[in-house]
Amino acid sequence: MYSSELIKGTLKTIVLKLLSQTNQMYGYEITQKVKELTSDRIQITEGALYPTLHALEKEGFVTTEIVNIGKRVRKYYTLTPKGKLKATEKVNEFAEFIDTMKFMLDIKHQIS
Amino acid sequence: MYTLSEQQIDFILNDIKSRGVVIEDLQLNLLDHICCIVENELNLDDDFDQFYQDIITRFFKMELKEIEEETILLLTFKNYYTMKKIMVISGIFSVATFLLGSFLKFMHLPGASVFLFLGIMTLSLIFLPLMFVLKIKDVNTKREKVVAGVGTLAGMLVSISVLFKVMHWPFANVLGVCALFVFVLIFIPLYFFSGVRNPDTKLNTIVSTILFVGAAGLLFTLIDTRPAYHQTEVKMYAYLESEDLLKRLQSMPGKAPASNTQQQLIISKMNDAAEQIKSLILIRTTGKSKVAHDFENEDIFLEERNLGPAFEEGQNGALLYGQFKNSIEEYNLLNGKSNALKIPTDHFEEGKIVLYNNFVVLDYITKTQMYVATIESSVTGMK
Repeated sequence: MYSSELIKGTLKTIVLKLLSQTNQMYGYEITQKVKELTSDRIQITEGALYPTLHALEKEGFVTTEIVNIGKRVRKYYTLTPKGKLKATEKVNEFAEFIDTMKFMLDIKHQIS
Repeated sequence: MYTLSEQQIDFILNDIKSRGVVIEDLQLNLLDHICCIVENELNLDDDFDQFYQDIITRFFKMELKEIEEETILLLTFKNYYTMKKIMVISGIFSVATFLLGSFLKFMHLPGASVFLFLGIMTLSLIFLPLMFVLKIKDVNTKREKVVAGVGTLAGMLVSISVLFKVMHWPFANVLGVCALFVFVLIFIPLYFFSGVRNPDTKLNTIVSTILFVGAAGLLFTLIDTRPAYHQTEVKMYAYLESEDLLKRLQSMPGKAPASNTQQQLIISKMNDAAEQIKSLILIRTTGKSKVAHDFENEDIFLEERNLGPAFEEGQNGALLYGQFKNSIEEYNLLNGKSNALKIPTDHFEEGKIVLYNNFVVLDYITKTQMYVATIESSVTGMK
């Protein structure tokens, strides 16, 4: 599992990307999906996920829909058009970041 | 799959609340999340309470409230950043417009008022309040917050009263006195006594207090500008006297035979234009088209300034001035055999009448009318 510092900086990107691939998701589903996709290597903590979701909602990148599940309610998150753009932007930014880091940390050299 | 009972759901929700999570949205999110974990990970024959106590620790390092604090931080961080940005931009904007406005005012160029207005308004209504909001986040004690608040209020009042003064708006002096009152009698003592007690800030506080008092003193000497206030009144009285004299001259019998219609036509054309120009200027100066000797008793505020938009090129006032000038030139052509009798028409730079002082133009128009009336009178005029 990766350090929480690494995940913290990329959480927004991860959430936006996940939401852009599916119609709508709720919090628990997001944590499980990430776990599944990364074979448990990335585990999003609830303490970081919900603040991020709330911030995304406030900034207008996601909209929410509340569905009653028996006695409790579930909040589904969906990307807005603005959020879709942001998702692409964030993913591109991160891809460039990886390239830069590869160069900067001389990772290729280490591998070879 | 474990099925939660209603009591268990209530228990979880109450536990979330009692652990200090206040935002309802967050409560509901956490509730659903915990329920999902229980349903997916708890075996039918396991103990719910034990399992719950185990999993709730996943959500935080020290206490559950952290999630809420992190949420609030994320939600307000963006605001904080935007506010800081707006503060800096509005600060730069107000300084730039203020400098430009002052320069234009100094050079007597048009647009000075607009820029001064924008600059001072931005400073007092956007920059200072934002600075206050951002500042109180940094200070800890209530006393420091009060000092910052009163300081901001004093700053806003002082800058707005200066604006009123510069624009010659009514109540400028009242505002100025209020601003100084807040600044000198409330802010400075508060600032001084809250800072001087702390040995670290003592020297700084004393020096700043001296600067504040000095600045307030300088401002106070500026506010007491009654002589300037009287000067405009005096100019208005002088104009009204000339106007009375003009009316008397015009009422005298003319020397020219009534049959000299071309002469009469030119004179009446000139007077028509003159009266219209004067009423336009009076509207700009006092808000009314006619002013009587008792104007001080009425709620009239006199402004000494340029002629305003009505006299911009192509506007009504400028056209009227053109007519006035033309009729004088016609009059000169008809009568001015000797140069000494010619009425000069080159007082104002071509096309720039708008820039001239209202009282100067009023005076010029009235005196020109008087001059013509004097020559044309059978009593005072030359035979």
